[in-house]
Amino acid sequence: MTSSIAMQSKPSSVEMKQSRTPYLAAFILLAIVGATLPLWVTGNPFLLMLASHAVIAAIVALSLDLLTGNTGLLSFGHAAWYGFGAYLAGLLSKNFSAEMVLIIPLTIVAACLVAAVVGAILVRQIGKTFAILTLALSQIFYALVFVLSDQTGGEDGLQGIPMATLFGNTVASSQAWYWLLYGVLIISLGGALYLRTTPLGRAWLAIRENTERASFIGVNTGALKLIAYVFSAGLASLAGALFVLFNGAVSPDVLHWFESGKILMYVVLGGVGTIVGPVFGAALFTFLEHYVSSYTDAWLIYFGGLFVLIVIVAPGGLFGIGRSIYARFKTGKGQTT
Amino acid sequence: MLAVSLALSGIVLGSVLLLFSLGLTLIYGVGRIVNFAHGALFSIGAMLGVWLSGQGLPLWVTLILTPLIVGLLGALLDWAVLARIRDRPMVDSLLLTFGLALFITGVLYELGGRNVQIMPIPSALEGAVTMFGLTLPVYRVFVSILAIVLATGLFLFLKNSDWGLRVRAANDDPEMGACLGIDREALMHSVVGVGAALAAISGVAAAPIFTAYATVGDKILILAFMTVILGGLGSLRGAVVAAYVVGMIIVFGEGYFGGQMALMLLFVLVMAMLINWPRGFFGEGRTE
Repeated sequence: MTSSIAMQSKPSSVEMKQSRTPYLAAFILLAIVGATLPLWVTGNPFLLMLASHAVIAAIVALSLDLLTGNTGLLSFGHAAWYGFGAYLAGLLSKNFSAEMVLIIPLTIVAACLVAAVVGAILVRQIGKTFAILTLALSQIFYALVFVLSDQTGGEDGLQGIPMATLFGNTVASSQAWYWLLYGVLIISLGGALYLRTTPLGRAWLAIRENTERASFIGVNTGALKLIAYVFSAGLASLAGALFVLFNGAVSPDVLHWFESGKILMYVVLGGVGTIVGPVFGAALFTFLEHYVSSYTDAWLIYFGGLFVLIVIVAPGGLFGIGRSIYARFKTGKGQTT
Repeated sequence: MLAVSLALSGIVLGSVLLLFSLGLTLIYGVGRIVNFAHGALFSIGAMLGVWLSGQGLPLWVTLILTPLIVGLLGALLDWAVLARIRDRPMVDSLLLTFGLALFITGVLYELGGRNVQIMPIPSALEGAVTMFGLTLPVYRVFVSILAIVLATGLFLFLKNSDWGLRVRAANDDPEMGACLGIDREALMHSVVGVGAALAAISGVAAAPIFTAYATVGDKILILAFMTVILGGLGSLRGAVVAAYVVGMIIVFGEGYFGGQMALMLLFVLVMAMLINWPRGFFGEGRTE
C-alpha cells in the first residue's frame, strides 16, 4: 500500500525467459526502424525535427522511469532536472565552450552533485510528501530562472546559443542530430535495461515492492534510493543539455509544472516501471500533442481528460494494455501452460 | 513601520492560505488523497465569483453562492471520478487529481481564463482604516476576519457535530471507522464537497486582492503544499499554525528580497525543517 506501483501482471521468471525472444526481436526491429527514419523522411524535414524532439522526450521519460519505475518514488517535478540541464548547458556553451564533449559531462556532473545534496533530504520522505516536495523543487528552479534573469534572460528565455561542436566538428545537419540523439537514447535504454538485471536493479525493485521488507533483509534503502534519484537527475539533465544544444534556445516553460506533468504523462501512458513503455509513451505523446494542438487551442482539456481516463481505465499504460491483449491472444489459442 | 505593515499583510495571506489548506488537510485526512486539483478549485471560485458579481449580485450573495456551487461540483467530482480509484495505490490518486487539475485549467482557459479579471470591491468595504498609526485597506481586514470566523466555525463544527465526529474518526483510522458503521463513500463525498467549498470561498474572497484567471490557484497551491508539509500532512492544528508561518515568510521575503526569492527562502526553510521534524509542528503528520 505504501510504496508499490500497480503492476498489471507479473510473469514469473520462467515465463519471462520463454517470452523474451519475441520481445527482443520486436525491440530490435523497432530500433532499426527508428535508426533508419532519416532515410525515409528526407522529403519532410519538419517530421524529422518532430522525431528528434520525440527522442529527447523519450530520454526524459526514461530518466523518470529509472526513479519511479525502479524505486516507486513518484517525482512530480522532474522538469526541474531537465530544465537544470538545459539552462546550465546553454549558459556553458554561451560563456565557455561549444564543445559537446566538454559541456555535456560538466552539466551531468553538476546536476548529479546538486541532486545528491537535495536528494539526500528528499529521499527520506516517501509517497505523497516526496511528490509534493519534488513539485516544490521544480517551482524553486523556475523561480531561480527569474531571480538570475540577467544571466538566464528571464521571461524571454536563454537565446543565442552557438552551434554545438562534437570533437571540433560543427553538428548542423538535422540527420546528424537525429542520429546523435537516437544513439544516446539507445545507449541509455540499454543501460537502464541492463541495470534491471544487476544486483542494484534487483535491490531497487525490492524497495519498490516493499521498502520495509527490503530494509529488513539488509538493503540500505536510503542510499539506494539516493543513487536512483541521482542517476535519474543526471539522465534528465543530459536530455535537457541535448535539447538546448539542438534547439538553440530555451524558455522558462521547460521548468513549469505542466512540463513535469507532461514527463509524468509519458511514463504513465507507456506504463510505469516497464522501462521500454515510457519511451514509446513519450514518442506517441509528442506526435499526438503536435497534431492535436494544431487542430485546437483547448488541448489542455484533451490532455487532462486523457490523463484521468488512463489512470482510471488503464493504470498499466500502453504496455499494460499490450501485455493483456497478448495474454488473451495466447489464451485464445490455448497455449498457456 | 514597514515590518508592522508587512506583518499585517502576512496575516491576510495566512488567513486565505488557512481556509485553503484546511480543505486540503480534510480531504487528505479522510480520503488519504493529496488533492492536486485544489488550486484549480480555487481558480473556479475566483472566476465564478467575478462572473456572479458581474451579473449584478451583491458581494454577500456571491460569497454564499460560489462555495455552494463549487462544493456541489466537488462532491460530484468525488462521486464521478475519485470514487473510481478508492482502493488503488496512492500514486494513482496523485496522478488522477493532477489530470483533473489540467482538465479544469483547460476548461477555465476556454471560459475566458486567459485574461486577468478584476473583481470590484463593494463601496461599503472600500477605503482604509487607520489603526495604531497604520492605514489598512478595509477589504483586507474583512477577508482576514471572514477567514478566521470560518475556520473557527469549521473547528467547532468538527468538534461538536455528528458529521465532525465521523470525520475525526475516519481521519484517525478509516478502516475502524468503517467497521463502526460510517458510510465512507457518503462521508468522502461530503468532505470533498466541504474542501472544495473552502477552496472556492478563499478564491472568491481573495479575488479583489489576487485578481482572477485560470491559473491563479497554482501559486496558492504550492504555498498550501508547503503549509501542509510544515504542519504535518493530515494535522489540522498544524495547518493553522503553518498557514500563518508561510504567510509571514512569503510576505516578509517579498518585502525585503523580492517575490521569487521569498519562494526559495520558504523552500529552504521547509527542507531544513524536514531534516529534523519530518512530521510537522505537532509531530502528528503522516509520513506514508
